[in-house]
Formats: sequence, structure tokens, C-alpha cells
Amino acid sequence: MELEEMQAVWSDLSDQLEKQKKLTDKMIIMMTEEQYRSKWKRIAYPEIMGGIICFGVALLILINMKTLETWYNITFGIASAIILLILPILSLKSITKMSRINFAEKSYKDTLLVYAKSKKQFQSVQKVAYYLSFILMFLILPVTSKILGDKDMFTGVKNIWPLVIFIPLGVAFLVFFSKWVHKCYNRNIVEAENLIKEIHGEE
Amino acid sequence: MSKESLFTKLIRDNEGVIFKITTIYTDNQEDQKDLYQEIVFQLWKAYDNFRGDAKISTWMYRVALNTAITRLKKEKRKGNKVGIDKVIMKQTEQYDTAFEEKLRVLYTHIQGLNELEKGLMLLLLEGKKYEEIASITGLSPSNVGTRISRIKQKLKTQIVKK
Repeated sequence: MELEEMQAVWSDLSDQLEKQKKLTDKMIIMMTEEQYRSKWKRIAYPEIMGGIICFGVALLILINMKTLETWYNITFGIASAIILLILPILSLKSITKMSRINFAEKSYKDTLLVYAKSKKQFQSVQKVAYYLSFILMFLILPVTSKILGDKDMFTGVKNIWPLVIFIPLGVAFLVFFSKWVHKCYNRNIVEAENLIKEIHGEE
Repeated sequence: MSKESLFTKLIRDNEGVIFKITTIYTDNQEDQKDLYQEIVFQLWKAYDNFRGDAKISTWMYRVALNTAITRLKKEKRKGNKVGIDKVIMKQTEQYDTAFEEKLRVLYTHIQGLNELEKGLMLLLLEGKKYEEIASITGLSPSNVGTRISRIKQKLKTQIVKK
């Protein structure tokens, strides 16, 4: 389809749309009300809920720091708490960044640039978050075992075979997992980088 | 005329324009409705600050397009994917198979463009002059011209490939 033909089709579409106007004043006023946007806001809810859970668990670890007793359990506890505090902050920060854009003042090019940069940042953050979550999965095991069951996973466990099996399986899983994360996120990061280059091009 | 009356008139006058923008930046009906509401909401929020030093259509396109791009950022969740042709069928009551097919081809071409080109293409199809496209997009008029020539080339390549 040539550009001229595309313009003709677009013009026909515009004419058809002009003939069948559907919006009433009441519908428009409803759309301007904040309450009406609940569905839109729901997108950020999983991140907010996740953030509350992470902060709650981090707080639980910090309050029970004394019960961890040994140096290695305390180290795992501190590392877990740090990860639990960092993860939601990174995620929420990247979400709120876009909501601060002034839609009327910024041009399409500038908004697109902010979008491409934050997309690149978001994808990089997601990549880091996946790795941190994986590390957290291991770190938090001895910590929860000690806090919730008062059992030291390293000295209080009689049968070491579950650990001998679990650790190599975990490492193998990490290798496959890393490849998957790399494949998923790098394509998006490259796409965002190309868009940034395109916007900067010939200016 | 009250602020509400002026605003509702503006939206009613331009409901087709907002509809076309939403079809370009979404791929299912649910997202399209969400984006439509969000654009109206953002226009209302920005309405008080519209100083009249730009054409109202320029201001409207700018807010609508900026909202549409940031919507892409939030499109993580999965809706029921509906082909864009079905989205258009929903709006156009006088169903015409040949026209529907042409629209489908047109949207396929547009979807093959990157986000910057998509915005330029939309404004070009809307019949905007290079100066107005420049003022909406923040590019210089000569840069708009260069990029539009490139889009034309790209479209030709797409046609050859098909």
C-alpha cells in the first residue's frame, strides 16, 4: 500500500468516525474523574503489594536478629534484609518515574526519550531483581529455619544429603535461569537503545 | 460557557481523533478503552494550563501522544488479545469487508514502524503540515521531512518484502 492510498483509507476512516459520534457529556465528565481510573491504577498494585510483603519480611528479620545467634546466620539475615529492602525500591522507583512526566509541556520526542531511557533502566533493574531473588531464595532458608523453627540448618541438621542434592541442583538451575533472563531482557534493552539512538539521530 | 462545557465540546469534536490514536498504540479492546479514558483524563488535567499560545489541536495531539507512549510502559499485563481489525469493526457500524481489509493492511504497515515513526505517520495521515508535526513532536521541520522520506522508503521496502 502506497502512502497516498494509506492517506485515502485514513480519510475514509475519519469520515466514518465523524458520522457515528458516541460520547455524551456525562461519559466525558466520568472519564475526567480520578475514581474512574481504578482499573488503570490496578497495574501498580502487584508492585505495591509485593513491596509491602518484602518490607514486612525484612522488618521481621531485623527484629529477630538476636535469635539468629551465629555469625553466618546473622550475615545471611542482614543480606536477606538488604535484598528485601532493595528489590521493591528499585521496582517502585521505575514505575513512579513515568507518572511524573508533564504531558502538556513535553514534546513527543522528549517524552519518547524519557520512555526509552526508563524502559532500558526498567529492563536492567528487572534483570538484577531476578538474580537477587534467586540469591535470596538460598539466603533466606537458614534465616527462616532459625527464626521460625529455632533450628540451625548447618549444625542442627543430622542428614546432610538433602543439602548435597539441593546445592548442585540449585547451581544447575541458576545456569539455565541466567541464560533465560539474558535472552528475555537483552532484546528489550537493545530495542530501547536503538530507539534512543534513533531519537538522537540527525538532531 | 463553563470550563466543563468547553472541555466536553472539545472531546466530542475530537473523539474520532482520540479513537484513532488509541487504535495505533494498543492491540486489544480492553487496553484501547483504558487508553481512551487515560487520554481524556490527562487532557482534563492539563486543560487549566493550556495557555492558548499553541493551537488547541497541537496541544491535544501532544498530550494524547505523550499519554499513549507512557501507556506502553505500563502494558506489562496481558489482556485478551484481539486483532486490531476487530477493534475497528466494533467502531464502524457500516461493516464493509473491502474497507476492513484495507484498514488491516494499513495498521499492519503502521505497526511495523518504531514509536517515533508511528507518531510521525499518524500526524501525517491526519493531514498535518510539517510545521505542526514539528511543534507536536519537538523535531525541527527539516528533520520531520527527512524522517518522513525515510518512512516512505521503509513502507516501500515492506511492500516489496510482501
